[in-house]
Amino acid sequence: MALDAQSSCDRKRVKVYELRDNDWFDRGTGFCTGQSHDDDYRIFVESEDEPDRVLLETKIFKDDGYQKQQETLIVWTETNGTDMALSFQEAEGCSVIWNFVNAAQQHLHNIAAADDALSDDLEFQPITLPAPELGNLPEIDHMMRAASITQAGRDALSKFVIRDEYIPKLLPLVTMAEDLESLPDLHRLCNIMKSIILLNDNTIIEMVVTDPIILGVVGALEYDPECPTHKANHRQYLADQSRFKEVVPIKDPLIRRKIRYTWRLQYLKDVVLARILDDPTFSVLNSLIFFNQVEIVNHIQSNGQFLRELFSVFGPRAPDAKRKEDAVQFLHQCAGIAKNLQAPARANLFANFITNGLFAVIAFAIKHPNPSLRTTGIDILVALLDHDPIMMRGYMLRAASEKRTPLTDTLIDLLHVESDLGVKNQLADAVKVLLDPQIPMQDPMGRMGPDQYAKRPGILPEAAVQAHFEESAKRLFMPLKRLENRATLNDLTFQEVALHSHLVDILTFFVRQHLYRSRSVIHNEALAPRVARLLTVPQKHLKLTALKFFRCLISLQDTFYQALMTHNNTFGLILDIVYETMPRDNLLNSACLELFECIKRENIKPFVLHVVEKYGEKLKNITYVDTFQSLILRYEQMQGYGAEGDSAILSSQEDMTPTRGIPANGQRWQGVREMDSAEEEYFNTSDDEDEWPQGQGPNATTGAQTSNGVVSPVVKPLVDYPDDDDDDAMDTNPEAEAEQKSASRDTDLPSHDPATDSPESPSTPVSQVVQTPPERLSEKRRREEEDDDELVKLTSGPKRRSSTNAGPGSAGLLRRQRTISFGSASGGSDKAAAAQGTSGGGGGVSAAPKRIAINLGSANKPSPSDTSPTTQTSSEKENQGQEANRERE
Amino acid sequence: MSDLDRAIAQLRACRLIPETQVRELCYKARELLIEEGNVVCVDAPVTICGDIHGQFHDLMELFRVGGDVPDTNYLFMGDFVDRGFYSLESFLLLLCLKVRYPDRITLIRGNHESRQITTVYGFYDECIRKYGSANVWRYCCEVFDYLALGAVVLGASSELEPSGPSPMVNNATQSTMAMENGGLETEVLNSRGEVTMNTYRGRQRSSSDPNPPSLRAPGTGASGNGAASTASRTGAILCVHGGLSPLIDTVDKIRLIDRKQEVPHEGAMCDLLWSDPDEIDGWGLSPRGAGFLFGGDIVKQFNYKNDLSLVARAHQLVMEGYKEMFDGGIVTVWSAPNYCYRCGNVAAILELGEDTSAGGTVARSNGDYARSNGLTGNKAGVRSPGRRYRVFEAAAQDTRGMPAKKPVADYFL
Repeated sequence: MALDAQSSCDRKRVKVYELRDNDWFDRGTGFCTGQSHDDDYRIFVESEDEPDRVLLETKIFKDDGYQKQQETLIVWTETNGTDMALSFQEAEGCSVIWNFVNAAQQHLHNIAAADDALSDDLEFQPITLPAPELGNLPEIDHMMRAASITQAGRDALSKFVIRDEYIPKLLPLVTMAEDLESLPDLHRLCNIMKSIILLNDNTIIEMVVTDPIILGVVGALEYDPECPTHKANHRQYLADQSRFKEVVPIKDPLIRRKIRYTWRLQYLKDVVLARILDDPTFSVLNSLIFFNQVEIVNHIQSNGQFLRELFSVFGPRAPDAKRKEDAVQFLHQCAGIAKNLQAPARANLFANFITNGLFAVIAFAIKHPNPSLRTTGIDILVALLDHDPIMMRGYMLRAASEKRTPLTDTLIDLLHVESDLGVKNQLADAVKVLLDPQIPMQDPMGRMGPDQYAKRPGILPEAAVQAHFEESAKRLFMPLKRLENRATLNDLTFQEVALHSHLVDILTFFVRQHLYRSRSVIHNEALAPRVARLLTVPQKHLKLTALKFFRCLISLQDTFYQALMTHNNTFGLILDIVYETMPRDNLLNSACLELFECIKRENIKPFVLHVVEKYGEKLKNITYVDTFQSLILRYEQMQGYGAEGDSAILSSQEDMTPTRGIPANGQRWQGVREMDSAEEEYFNTSDDEDEWPQGQGPNATTGAQTSNGVVSPVVKPLVDYPDDDDDDAMDTNPEAEAEQKSASRDTDLPSHDPATDSPESPSTPVSQVVQTPPERLSEKRRREEEDDDELVKLTSGPKRRSSTNAGPGSAGLLRRQRTISFGSASGGSDKAAAAQGTSGGGGGVSAAPKRIAINLGSANKPSPSDTSPTTQTSSEKENQGQEANRERE
Repeated sequence: MSDLDRAIAQLRACRLIPETQVRELCYKARELLIEEGNVVCVDAPVTICGDIHGQFHDLMELFRVGGDVPDTNYLFMGDFVDRGFYSLESFLLLLCLKVRYPDRITLIRGNHESRQITTVYGFYDECIRKYGSANVWRYCCEVFDYLALGAVVLGASSELEPSGPSPMVNNATQSTMAMENGGLETEVLNSRGEVTMNTYRGRQRSSSDPNPPSLRAPGTGASGNGAASTASRTGAILCVHGGLSPLIDTVDKIRLIDRKQEVPHEGAMCDLLWSDPDEIDGWGLSPRGAGFLFGGDIVKQFNYKNDLSLVARAHQLVMEGYKEMFDGGIVTVWSAPNYCYRCGNVAAILELGEDTSAGGTVARSNGDYARSNGLTGNKAGVRSPGRRYRVFEAAAQDTRGMPAKKPVADYFL
């Protein structure tokens, strides 16, 4: 064996330390050797000064945890519990001894494995512990520890503890030891009790929480030897009967007992054992709690008498305010438990609650003067929303169609006036989910043509959905609309800032969730200019929220929203922010840069043209990053011989965009016929392709201007906000031009340019100058190739533009292929360590609480940042994490 | 005593502040953090800390070992919350200190500072337990969105100054060390903050230069080889929670991220918070399901290109508290001793001294860190900073009682 090489003559100079009272005590300096006789391996340290004195002699056991630290340290714990350390003078000496220890342990393991094979039968021998007395506690403690090492030993021990009813026999000793004030005995009792619980046996744990012995058990656990000066007061806590509250008495004694036991199990899990729980025991506790809760909830929801009594607390003849509050708390706790139940059980519970009048209770709670009760009320509502948003929206729509005030209206009104910012926050989230314009059904786009709704019985027609949404949204965004009457936004109150921040956030969410449904609201209420004004407020976080809204519009690559941005002074205001923050490097500045980077990266031509054309001078002055210079460069590339491209052409080109997005009357969104994604892509795809030739030839001017004429009837209602007090800041050019050119409408629309039939671009019916010189075509291709080289991230392929929908960056492919497995995480990794952790909330049976806030990224839009596969990956990721936890349990 | 000081005192005693005060605090923090760049510039001297994970009492231990705020400048590399039972106390205290001493303490975002992760790994649960609703969780998550993504430490000395800042360390036992190229010192401290072990060695990078590790008696500071310090510029140190990203080849690129968002599942921002270094070539898939693995060549290239001498990161449990990899090009710093109250590891913090050779001025200013400044032609001359790792153990049990979650107060079911 390799051990022979580690002969005893290798003397390594070393210092011996022993941990005493948390201090490393120096036992002296000497020379270290590793020695072996038969299967006995020892480390010796002889004193440097007195060679006869042995500073250390320790036997190596196969399971001792030796650690090597920082090249020159070996640390371990002696069998008597003392922590020891050897600090070597030289790393080399350390590694020699370290190798010796490793080899020794390896050897011992091999021997032990051989022994185990022989002793399997022996291990199944039943274990018998002596009847407990104070005198034999050390012996019992030791026997239990020894037996706990193997699974067979643990099984035998469990059997014995149960059969012999060993725990009740131990408990009198706790009182006895307390009377004698014998701390060592109490510590031993605590250790024994820990060993018993960590046997991880269902029956034992269930027994532990029963009435006769629970107090004795936690009494023993109050004296943790790891905290010798500290005594917990578990008994006091658990003995306190007043903690259990009842609104309507539960009569079934079995259920009452289950409730009590569940509470104790939770206390054990969270407090008594929190630090020492291993994963298997944690999991056993969790599953016991879970099954108890299933029974309790089942009992409640199937008990009609009980439910009637419960909800009658809110009846008109029930004046007891405290009792009402308690009942709300009770329902809140039910809803909290329901989160962990399986869907059918949860559905039953909620259905029964709703039948009995849960909405009235929620309405009562959210109007309560006490903010904490309002919070509780909204929590219940959110639990319902998390459970089944479609069902909840169904209730709202029905209420609306029956001319009752839907809960949404109540919530919106409350959101507007709520003064508690925490509650406001929750209200905003609830409204967001309730009005989520994307109805999550089989159809990923959430589109419900009038001919389709019949397929889903119980769902109201699309028109009604849209009408309800518009009405609610109008009400919701009223404060935003009212901003137009304000002369200045410098005097917004704290409350207003919070409200507007929520409203813009919700609006952003709506737009991202559903491309079309929000259009009419944004249009009719002229919301975009209002949000744009918020870019000028002094409150930076509100500025940022407004900026997010526009960033979202950009990422949608939708012609309607593009028009919104190019026909307001939006970019001017954003550039103002860049200027304001410019020399500094801060969040607002980065957010602006990212926005322009996105335009550059995705090469969104309408924006490139608009921004450079209109704000070229401003851009040129921003030199501290190259983003803006690259934008200008990109623009020049688009112009081809770009230098001479005059402004009239360019502004007309940006106006072209809406032509195709919103034909005829600009009312496409109204659901007459929704664009499907292919069509949408088609439009997006064609946008830029047809612009190439336009900006080039000598005839381009004419062509472009006619196309501008096409736009005018469409654009005008979109951008002409006659009552807008921001008018001075807005670009009035397009209108003027539009009117001027409107006569030439339709003339060029059907024309078809051969250039657009090039391999890179799908053929598109675009307005086009008919005579394009052939050399222009080749020129165009050449430039496109250059373009491709620059945009490494754009994958090649016939539909070049569609690649903008892929994940950002070149890593997209790599990421899609990534396998996700936490189980195989390397030992030192965070997640792997996490899997060992006792506190992993998701580690148990209980599912992680769903939060509505998490819905943020789940838009099924082909926007570059929010692709649905990503969302899926994320949930997989978390699930995997939980599974990894469970695997260890 | 201001409200803020009162709140700090209260939190130091591990007692929570009322919900309204948390809200105020978070709003103030937001105003402050919105002014910070995605990569904050920090001047040496500074003490860099890794994951805390709600181990409040160990955070107190960290302050005992490293010196208190504002006497010591701190940079925390994220993961303040989850797992431990005192995420709220830990994070709110750090936030209070940030608001009270904005220039003395820097907080950057870790992968656990996210809504999704905190709902699974304990922080959400803790907020519900301790405040009865998710409001405080929301406020905190809002602050998370504003946290910077990284930091760059400038002006670090290539020498180790005598370790003085720790108030518990007897200065008489310290001696000055000076190394040609970035010394490295490790101190092991006991629960009373006394140095029990002190090792000092030259930079690992020069493996051809065996500087035998010397054995020191406890409490006696290591002595260096006495070489006269050749004052020279040390490269900057980039601090991020996770690691590098294939999408980020220069530090400046980080500036182009709009960081105010939930940590995404992919992309540069995600990678910075999720990636891990590994003994591989190039980039690899991460077993975590987010971020990447990156090899020594990547680190070397990145450091060279960005004029960095070191990447400091956290994110991975290391039993010894810190771990240098790739010839000292990257270091993992872990500051949660006995992680999850059971992993048995020690923790470390990394102290970087101030380079006073240039009269205390820092050559590069805010926002300028990755641009050439006339010295880039001499990249071989970039010195790695002197590093002092202070290794410490979990706070003694006695000082904290038994860590536990807050039990349910009243119950109906």
